[in-house]
Amino acid sequence: MKRFRSLLFPMLIATSARAAAPELTLVIRDHLFFPSTLEVPAGQKVRILIDNQDPTPEEFESYPLNREKVIPGNTKTVVFIGPLEPGEYPFFGEFYPKTAQGKVVVK
Amino acid sequence: MSMRSNFLTALGAMAVSGSVLADGLVVDKIYHPYVDALEKELEYRALAQDTQPGKRNLAQVHQLSLGTAIGDRLFAEVYVVGAKNRASGFEIEAWEAEVKWQLTQQGEFGLDWGLLFEYEDERKLDAHEFSVALIAEKELGRFSATANLFVINEWGKDVVNELETVFSMQTRYRGNAAFEPGLEIYAGQDSRGIGPVLQGSIITGSRKSLHWEAGVIFGLGQSSPDNTWRFLLEYEF
Repeated sequence: MKRFRSLLFPMLIATSARAAAPELTLVIRDHLFFPSTLEVPAGQKVRILIDNQDPTPEEFESYPLNREKVIPGNTKTVVFIGPLEPGEYPFFGEFYPKTAQGKVVVK
Repeated sequence: MSMRSNFLTALGAMAVSGSVLADGLVVDKIYHPYVDALEKELEYRALAQDTQPGKRNLAQVHQLSLGTAIGDRLFAEVYVVGAKNRASGFEIEAWEAEVKWQLTQQGEFGLDWGLLFEYEDERKLDAHEFSVALIAEKELGRFSATANLFVINEWGKDVVNELETVFSMQTRYRGNAAFEPGLEIYAGQDSRGIGPVLQGSIITGSRKSLHWEAGVIFGLGQSSPDNTWRFLLEYEF
């Protein structure tokens, strides 16, 4: 039982740490990102809930953020980013790159 | 891993001893734990190993594969494997199937985790291989470090029946998507190596890209091959 508790405790800490990560929502509609600029704090992990309201899939892609994530049409998914240094990190939608563009601004 | 058995066959034609065959090759692609949903890929992989220094007799293995994502956590791939050396010429040696399973979301925990399952069957020999690999990746700013730990079971009348482990690791600097320098380390039962690898990706259209990797791994210690050259070209669509 003691061993179980010793295993459980770090898991709880990890869960609470995850719950404490700031969460932002990014909406995809008409092949555009809303908002197109996300402000996030420096040095912290951030949870971004991406809500694709279009009927077609889109891919959140950013080389500077090192993330690629497909979001099927009319679904939501989560992308974790950071901790990041202050600066601007552009992202785009790989299915509609001409319109679906945005950036993460880290302050 | 997939190339290991075929390399053994190639080396076998060159009359290398069985004990060396079983552990002759540890260099291969290093797997990342991520799956990109809806992605399909066509991949060509090649290895050339200097098994007899000074004799200009490179043993070669060539692989061609087709893969597809299944949902957003699984990626399945089927390979045809060929081997070539001066003694036997080029021959299709084996087929292989593998499934990669992304276990955690990228960046969710301190390390990103995945598992890889591979099965390989020799065409002319009674030799089979089943492998399971644990994949871990850590992002440190612009650097990424990836580790693969394979446990490999080989069996059949024409192969030494045994369980092996192979560890490989890659660090790369993510400064430019088209050109990322890195360093790879490999360690198997009787073979160790380290060397530089360059890689990059070029977007060729909507949801289409070319990824390439090229490097040379220098053997460490007397039982390791002097040089192993590796090349990979992957079309993602």
